[in-house]
Amino acid sequence: MDKADILVGIASYNNAKTIDHVVRAVDAGLAKYFSAKKAVIVNSDGGSRDGTQDIVKTTTLDHAAMFLTYPVYPAHRISMPYDGIPGKGSAFRLIFQKAVEMQADACCVVDADLRSITPEWIELLLSPVIKGGFDFVAPLYSRHKYDGTITNSIVYPMTRALYGQRIRQPIGGDFGFSGRLAEFYLKQNVWETHVARFGIDIWMTTEAVANGFKVCQTFLGAKIHDPKDPGADLADMLLQVVVTLFNLTGKYFDKWKDIKGSVNVPACGFRYHVGLEPVKVNVKNMLDIFREGVDNLKLIWTNVLGPGDFGEVEAISHQPDDKFRFPLGLWTRVIYDYASAYHKKIMSSEHLIKSLAPLYLAKTASFIMEAADMDHEGAEAEIEKLCMEFEEKKEYLVNNWR
Amino acid sequence: MDNFINLLFQPFRNFWASLAAFLPNLFAMLLIILSGFLIAWLARKLFLRLFTAINFDVWCDKAGLTAIIRKGDIWTRPSDFFGRIIYLIFIIIFLMIGLSALRLPTIGNLTSQFFLYMPRALSALFILIIGYIIAGFVARGILIAAVNSGYHYAKLLAEAVRVLLIVLILAMALEQFGIAPGVVIAAFSIIFGGIVLSLAIAFGVGGIDTAKRIIEKRLEEKKEEKGNIEHL
Amino acid sequence: MADFYQSGVIVTLHKLGRPSLEKIESEIFEFSKQRPIALVLPALYAEFKADALKGIVEELKKVKYINEIVLSLGRATDDEFKKAKEFMSVLPHDVKIIHNEGKRVKEIYATLERNGLQPGEDGKGRSTWMAYGYVIANGKSDVIALHDCDIVTYNREMLARLCYPVVNPNIDVAFCKGYYSRITDRMHGRVTRLLITPLVRSLQKLVGFHPFLVFLDSFRYSLAGEFCMVTDLARVMRIPWDWGLEVGVLAEVFRNYSARRVCQVDIADNYEHKHQPLSAEDAQKGLMRMCVDISKSIFRILAAEGIVFSDSLFKSLEVAYMRQAEDTMLKYEADAAINSLVFDRHEEAKAVEAFANAIKQAAQIFIENPMGTPLIPNWNRVGSAIPGIFDMLKKAVEEDNK
Repeated sequence: MDKADILVGIASYNNAKTIDHVVRAVDAGLAKYFSAKKAVIVNSDGGSRDGTQDIVKTTTLDHAAMFLTYPVYPAHRISMPYDGIPGKGSAFRLIFQKAVEMQADACCVVDADLRSITPEWIELLLSPVIKGGFDFVAPLYSRHKYDGTITNSIVYPMTRALYGQRIRQPIGGDFGFSGRLAEFYLKQNVWETHVARFGIDIWMTTEAVANGFKVCQTFLGAKIHDPKDPGADLADMLLQVVVTLFNLTGKYFDKWKDIKGSVNVPACGFRYHVGLEPVKVNVKNMLDIFREGVDNLKLIWTNVLGPGDFGEVEAISHQPDDKFRFPLGLWTRVIYDYASAYHKKIMSSEHLIKSLAPLYLAKTASFIMEAADMDHEGAEAEIEKLCMEFEEKKEYLVNNWR
Repeated sequence: MDNFINLLFQPFRNFWASLAAFLPNLFAMLLIILSGFLIAWLARKLFLRLFTAINFDVWCDKAGLTAIIRKGDIWTRPSDFFGRIIYLIFIIIFLMIGLSALRLPTIGNLTSQFFLYMPRALSALFILIIGYIIAGFVARGILIAAVNSGYHYAKLLAEAVRVLLIVLILAMALEQFGIAPGVVIAAFSIIFGGIVLSLAIAFGVGGIDTAKRIIEKRLEEKKEEKGNIEHL
Repeated sequence: MADFYQSGVIVTLHKLGRPSLEKIESEIFEFSKQRPIALVLPALYAEFKADALKGIVEELKKVKYINEIVLSLGRATDDEFKKAKEFMSVLPHDVKIIHNEGKRVKEIYATLERNGLQPGEDGKGRSTWMAYGYVIANGKSDVIALHDCDIVTYNREMLARLCYPVVNPNIDVAFCKGYYSRITDRMHGRVTRLLITPLVRSLQKLVGFHPFLVFLDSFRYSLAGEFCMVTDLARVMRIPWDWGLEVGVLAEVFRNYSARRVCQVDIADNYEHKHQPLSAEDAQKGLMRMCVDISKSIFRILAAEGIVFSDSLFKSLEVAYMRQAEDTMLKYEADAAINSLVFDRHEEAKAVEAFANAIKQAAQIFIENPMGTPLIPNWNRVGSAIPGIFDMLKKAVEEDNK
């Protein structure tokens, strides 16, 4: 197969509405910024039935395009992953394979459901690899202060505290990476595990930081995508992200146990913030579920958190709705306790992580009320406080690991 | 006269003959039982070694098995406890084999029935253990799912499912054990049906208001826009 | 003590005028409905033969507000345990005796040990710790009060004054320690007067301001064995099982609560406990060991607080301590003179010499092995390591007490 300098991967599944826009933006970006390079676009599709592939095929492009289909097992379709692409990991595996076969120097992947993608994204994701010598480019988005709460209260603080690198959007979905890293990814023996189904984002980020690849971030602006299935179950979503996060935590214990504090990760691109239109959130509903949890999940929570921290959780559940706050220290211990409970396999991983959902909702409700009158910086400072708490309490996780 | 003496001594002779025939059996039984004790003792030692090697006690502590034994006020180490059970099982088996060596019709029946029951008893026990674990697992799954969807009677629901499953499993185990199968099935149907019916009535009568409230709440929620933040 | 001076960072509650025992007892009775109190009594069987315990039981009969009494019995055979049970059965309260030498509790210690949770050697530290475990397992009390069983001058006012600040929600103290003077025809309490106070003050001179030293110096009688605390503290506390126990408890209080929620209370005009009949040599050895343990404990806590101990620091500490102790001795000589108390200057000086020696030894041990005495793990950790441990403990104690 011919060598290509650049490879852009798009994983898709029933994205007929948006794929045209994404492919055009990618094509334009390649033409505008990398006209001298030989580039190829790879669409890895999970067998869409709404004509996604036909649209890609009929779009006239300046660059060579490749259409791959990977099998999605019926079982995988039943519970739709949070990213809307069943078997996204398998899709990426094909992309990595092509990157290695074609000896691509720089690659990037973008979501197929993006509405806000512009040609500049391609430049922003690829340049750090081509010109800056970075191996992995994580995205930075400007998001509403209430958005991305799983990222903000679990994934970001935890990966940051564990691996000491401040990657703000570890599960962004749009990444750039070097050919070297693609080869490394491909060699990992995970493609028959759940990583093939979901959690590929956090997996890519963690593998890159844990194995000492050169990492940077790039500012892409707003991320707006096709509205996802509103019926998506929160507990399932949590399960998919957290299982991978915790698995990697177990895998890389020896790498993270001695890391203290964290360092900034270089960022490029022009940073600006989106406006803060008021979003209506049903905090009461969240707290109701949390209180149901306190009433009903006592056994499980005591088992995971220990009677002391369960007592704390029980105590905060008595706060009135409008004054409800989830202390940062307690939340940190909750996540660390869940991580070590997962590691010790005290119960089925699905039950364990789904039982975290009511606690997560309480934490989210608390954050939403705290940040109600804050601007973007204020909310970000709140998250920074939480991160510091995670870093300071890291010893607790290490001590409880064994 | 000879005849009479013969008549007189015949029973003794018979007795002696049957005794002579029986004595080897008796010895065989004693030998089997004695060697049974020896083998049981050896097996126990062996298992204790094995238990120590695999850190069985710690495993029991972590799995909560120790706590279950303690509930029965047994305060030996878990490995000792299970070692003793293994010892007892061996003794019982060898006792049964030994008794059958006596070749007495009544005992023979007993022992053959015992060995007939053994596999059934084991599979019944197996069903009980596996069933207990499955019931716990299913109930926990339901509990968590119910809580996450904000259902108010999560624990009640999970407990109800657990009880139903346990009743089902008990019935299965008894059925497997072969104790009066007709009665077991009848009793099971009555109990299971009874539970379901009473639950239905309880929910029906007691739950009308609740159901109404839940439906109203759902409708209200539909009306007012559900909080739309992106969790990821 | 007739002054009302507030010294140090913690709250000091003096005995002023003639407070009505009747009144505070009835108040405690009301408060204890919201916050039930458990009384923990560490005792050796030998103490059942002495008069002090008889007096204590007689006094306790009149106390109505105690929810449960947990007596942690050490060095007793099964027969002696039965006798102890009979002895305590005159009390109208729910009394449970923990038979530390019984097969059930012993098996619990064995369970902890084989799971890598060392409960330490037999002693007051370990047996009170076990009693806390039972109170937590039983889950019926929010407050734990503790005093020794060899107080000859026991008076139920002591208990009332000890409990009052913790149960009273308006004071809302998490930890309350008793203080008193120990005077017969002379002053007792040499270890506190001549070891701890001078040691802490000379450390302050050497390392400068340190919050823990200030905290420790605020206690008028840091070795007093009488205190009252919220049960939550018992869950998170990691205490040493040797003589460093009292200081260790104060360190844990310091770590978990702000000084505002810590108090000391004047519990008795005079206090005398039964002196263990020991041969002079044994007494010397015992006292030496105690002083070494205490000094070691202080060093360990300070090291954990970030103070670096070097050889030279220890050398200057020895000198500074001697000077500080001699100054203190002079003060007490004057104090004794004005109160017409016997003051054996020679004995006191000998004690100071012995204490200096103990500090030296402790320094040596500390430098060789800073992690010296392992602490007993806290109950939260034990609970998460062995899920059924609380049930086991409860069962063991209940079966023993049948």
